[in-house]
Amino acid sequence: MTNILDDYALMSPLRHRNNWLKLAIVLFGLLAGVSATSPIPPIFIAFCMSLTTVTLGKAPLKLYFKLLLAPLGFAIAGVLIIAFFSGSGPELLSFEFLGYPLSVRTDGFELAMLVFARSISGMCCLYFLAMTTPMIELFAVLKASGLPESLIELSMLIYRYIFVFLDMALCIRYAQTVRLGYSNFRRSINSIGMLASTLFIRSWEQGDKLFLAMNSRCYDGKMTLFEVHRPVKVTELLLTSAYFLSTLALFYFTKNISIV
Amino acid sequence: MIILETRGLKYTYPDGTAAIQDLNIEIKKGKKVAFVGQNGSGKSTLFLLLNGTLKPAEGEVLFHGVPIKYNSKSLREIRKSVGIVFQNSDDQIFAPTVYQDVAFGPANLGYSKERVDTCVQQSLEQVGLSRLKDKPPHHLSGGQKKRVAIAGIMAMEPEVIILDEPLSNLDPVGADEIMDLLNEFNQFGSTIIISTHDVDLAYRWSDYVFLLSNSKIIGQGTPTDVFKDPELLKKTGLRQPTTLEIYHEIERRGLASGGNSPKTIPELVNTLKPIDLIWVDVPPGLREGDSLNLGIMYGQYATQSPYEAVNATVLHIHQNGRAIVELKRKGIKAGGVMIYDTDNYSLPEVKQILKEGEIVFVGAMGKKSKTLAEHDGIRLDVSSGVIDKTILTALCGKRCLILTAGGMVDHALKRIKEYVETSGIEFTVGVVNREEGCKWLEETGDSPEKLKV
Repeated sequence: MTNILDDYALMSPLRHRNNWLKLAIVLFGLLAGVSATSPIPPIFIAFCMSLTTVTLGKAPLKLYFKLLLAPLGFAIAGVLIIAFFSGSGPELLSFEFLGYPLSVRTDGFELAMLVFARSISGMCCLYFLAMTTPMIELFAVLKASGLPESLIELSMLIYRYIFVFLDMALCIRYAQTVRLGYSNFRRSINSIGMLASTLFIRSWEQGDKLFLAMNSRCYDGKMTLFEVHRPVKVTELLLTSAYFLSTLALFYFTKNISIV
Repeated sequence: MIILETRGLKYTYPDGTAAIQDLNIEIKKGKKVAFVGQNGSGKSTLFLLLNGTLKPAEGEVLFHGVPIKYNSKSLREIRKSVGIVFQNSDDQIFAPTVYQDVAFGPANLGYSKERVDTCVQQSLEQVGLSRLKDKPPHHLSGGQKKRVAIAGIMAMEPEVIILDEPLSNLDPVGADEIMDLLNEFNQFGSTIIISTHDVDLAYRWSDYVFLLSNSKIIGQGTPTDVFKDPELLKKTGLRQPTTLEIYHEIERRGLASGGNSPKTIPELVNTLKPIDLIWVDVPPGLREGDSLNLGIMYGQYATQSPYEAVNATVLHIHQNGRAIVELKRKGIKAGGVMIYDTDNYSLPEVKQILKEGEIVFVGAMGKKSKTLAEHDGIRLDVSSGVIDKTILTALCGKRCLILTAGGMVDHALKRIKEYVETSGIEFTVGVVNREEGCKWLEETGDSPEKLKV
């Protein structure tokens, strides 16, 4: 089994909950996080979403932090620049760096904190979706959102064959590695080229076989998508509304608060 | 009744090589048919011709006596009735989840949502994969993928199921499960056609065999007839089935009775003709060639069942009243096989049968029964090749129980009864929780002396 993000989502217990509810939670989080004027509500959203992903969604904690680390790096770099180079008001911190005077001012610091909180909350919301909703659950959502049928059929087939070709590519790469196909740079380039061309031809053949397989089961030009009906449970609704209400309340009360 | 037939069928690949040449075959309804031949002998092409996927260059394919027409309406009909399971499951399973893949066929037949759902649930249940219905195919093992592929075909309720190399890339247990499944479908009346290069499988499993070589049929008949002929097999590039080969070797050495074609290990064992000689003290006046009743033997002297009535033929008389005799044994309290139908399953009942029936050997056939046994902690002595191993154990005077369900109950009963009839070795066999009741539970009270010798 290849360990990709989709696999974790497939194994998550939250997979079997209503997709629309999950989407609503994520959309709400994104909007509320971005429109907040104080860093406190986004931090709260980020905390709630992470907690849900890890406890209810059973995402491995280690993996979750590892995943967060990448966007966190970008966020911190951006935030530092904002903190040092923007804003006015009283100085909080100042020092000289290689002869250049550097200082953090109140306004800049506030803005930096806000940007940081917003980006983290957005990331946590999206990770919640990614770690609890596998692709196969999203096909129904795509269909309901009015995308053309043929596009959805194509994406279903593509999804399935990504894994077939991934397996095939891994096998070919293994076969090349054991015969020293990647022992130096030149050979690696050569091997990668062969792998790509073989995969192309194989996928072409697979297309033929796919058509045969579909035809022999009376394919008549359309692939029906069977949705699993998952009604929203009362507890889910209560939890979600509690979360929404507390976020909104926090949003309201922290409107004019400055943290410095 | 003939369900599929070809007349003068010919097919040529686009590059000009002949794949099928002048092929005339008839396949009877409800049979288990095997096409045996080397790789590249044209088996897969023939199968694609049989369900109308390929159009023959010459000749015709007849389904229920009517030639297939190659317009979309009749093709739909034929593809509904003749399902193909491909050799590579990844070629066949294309939907993102197991459920959606199995539902693909029924949905194309225009069934209502509810009916599609029933079809899918039913066929997933039959192959024992209901639990995995929301999984994506790349999370399944090879055997599970094969079963999904079969379920996808079963959901369309075809009359004929064609399987191209159904056991390739499967482990022995997985292979056994697939064969159990096929037997069950056959019991329900489906005609099953497989291709294979495994002669042992074709010999043991099928009712009728076609030998294919270089795109031609070079032999056909019952497996017993077809595999008897070493010359024919040599032409196909195949070897004799292992059981048959062993049998011929021991027959040549005079250790087995001739003229048989044992298919299974119990049948092979049954042909054995061991010479059983011992020294005994004989009363005076006895002459060579006379027969002598030695009474009932048990324990280490009874080799085939717990108690044996032994008669002896005197071969040579020695001095001081001793003679060499050849023993003729007849088991008088042989073992037995009970079949338990898990469709009406209750744990206390099974436990009672295990206890009161002095059962020492338990086997389970079919995914459902295996799961039940595992769940309720019933120790299984065997879970693959169940019928053969049970017969062998019963022959040693032990009592066995087979847990199974549905069509496999009758299949198992039939197989064991056939064995009892052809071998002449008696042991009890029956289905416990059906109307006939449990015969041997009453019999246990009988002492061996009461039985007629």
